[in-house]
Amino acid sequence: MNPLESLTDAVVRGDRREAVRLTSEQIDGGSPPKEILAALVAGMDTVGDRFQRNEAFVPEMLIAARAMTESMAVLEPLLAAQGIRPEHTAVIGTVQGDLHDIGKNLVAMMWRGAHFNVVDLGTNVAAEDFVNAAKDHGADIIGLSALLTTTMPAMRQTVQSIREAGLHAKVIVGGAPITAEFADSIGADAFAPDAATGVDIARKLVSA
Amino acid sequence: MTDRERFLATMHFQPRDRAPICDFGFWSETVELWKSDGLPEHLDENTATDFFGMDRFEGWVGVVDGLDPAFESVVIEDRGQTEVVQGSDGVRVLRHKFMGSIPQHVGHLLTDRESWNKHYKPRLTPESPGRFPGAWEQRVKRWRNPQRPNVLTLPGGSLYGWIRNWMGVEAVSLAVYDDPAWFEEMVETITDLVCALIDKACSFGVQFDTCGMWEDMCYSGGPLLGLEHFKKYLLPRYRRITDRLRNHGIDIVWLDCDGNIERLVPLWLDAGVNCIFPIEVGTWGADPVAYRREFGRDLLMLGGFDKHVLARGKQEIEQEVDRLTPVVEEGGYVPFCDHRIPPDVPLANYMEYLCLARERWGRGVDLKPMGKLWHAMAGAAP
Repeated sequence: MNPLESLTDAVVRGDRREAVRLTSEQIDGGSPPKEILAALVAGMDTVGDRFQRNEAFVPEMLIAARAMTESMAVLEPLLAAQGIRPEHTAVIGTVQGDLHDIGKNLVAMMWRGAHFNVVDLGTNVAAEDFVNAAKDHGADIIGLSALLTTTMPAMRQTVQSIREAGLHAKVIVGGAPITAEFADSIGADAFAPDAATGVDIARKLVSA
Repeated sequence: MTDRERFLATMHFQPRDRAPICDFGFWSETVELWKSDGLPEHLDENTATDFFGMDRFEGWVGVVDGLDPAFESVVIEDRGQTEVVQGSDGVRVLRHKFMGSIPQHVGHLLTDRESWNKHYKPRLTPESPGRFPGAWEQRVKRWRNPQRPNVLTLPGGSLYGWIRNWMGVEAVSLAVYDDPAWFEEMVETITDLVCALIDKACSFGVQFDTCGMWEDMCYSGGPLLGLEHFKKYLLPRYRRITDRLRNHGIDIVWLDCDGNIERLVPLWLDAGVNCIFPIEVGTWGADPVAYRREFGRDLLMLGGFDKHVLARGKQEIEQEVDRLTPVVEEGGYVPFCDHRIPPDVPLANYMEYLCLARERWGRGVDLKPMGKLWHAMAGAAP
């Protein structure tokens, strides 16, 4: 296993100390920051794949994301110095009337792990706030989350507001009561059944 | 038959006059909406169950298996439509003031070993004075009657769900990796408490009927905790509790868990937890018929009727009632909606469901009476 593969492996195992140590070692050794970033992202991708295959669970995603975040704290200044910034921005929140944030947080975490710039609006977010944030940040992706069947109409309303505002951002919806059929019916661009799939879908939508 | 005789016969696959007719309850908004369709004004979400003539499948005995003393419940901040409240579990939540819903956790007292030892562990001792309700001796005297009409349910605690609530999903997930010995100590403390309470409650010469546990440890994609961690930390302790219960003659151990439970059911069965409640159908399509096919009579079931079907119409309701009927007839299963009835269900549809349930599952035998509204809306229904 070469050092970058070891870094990827450390993220997969959620070994934050080792991940930070290897990141620093790679920086000190003069590895291109883009390659270090790619190794970190590859680790999160592996965990995402395992999650989708039911081989990893929420704790494994969380420790991997923590290892990635702490490594990124070391790497970020170097990326910034070389003008390497996330290519895509995602705005995410739980729709109005809904106070739940666990699923939304997991998606945000996985998007960050895929090196998206993520603007997390929190919970109980009004449609106009999604629209304004997407405009302000030039979002490519808008993620809408809902846990309750009673807040699904708010998700519909939010998609409608985004469409009426003429934003180019793609809308991904998710949450326990949400189905692909519902996503279609409200005019969303995609449905993400889980956080890991949310990464695949976001990548596909921004590269389309 | 009494509610108790009927329920126990059902869960032991024995002959009975009919299936129990039960419900999970109603959202308060639903009850309010139904009032404009004729539901009596005096009813609320607590009294509607009796109004609709439901049987009982649980009867909590009043033993406190959680934090004792509980934390003081206080409003921390009023935000108009919402408020931040510290609940009796010490968790700060943001909740709607005027709408029934699941609140958002915004702060936790339990963050590390120190806060565990200071705030939580001392509240999980079996000896604390608030564990058994007042007039316990009189209650016990009544309950010793083997002909008592109602099911008696002992509380069986929560080996993961409580800790998850006290810490939050992220913190408990990290604790499993960062300090597994501490996580294990928390689970062990709760197990010790539950076992001690079971022993004490059963020492009064009452034959309790069931034990109810709570976890809510799954989401739409499956369990929040990995299976290996489940097997390592939880399974042996569930087994300790269920062995204890069986030694006391309690062989119906149900566990309340929302979300997609499919991968945990075999593990719970292995651990002696043999009944699942309320079988949330969800978008993942949990299904009592499929569970019976897969787990046979090893798995007892409560719930599992898709509440969303009730919003669709008469034909869909009848199809679902008919689809579940063979499992209901076989026994080991008490059907009812997989959570409280939401406000998008018209009262007429709910009446349609009840009419069918009482006719097909209840066989029209010895059903509890309902209010006048029933007769007005359901005509010659049983």
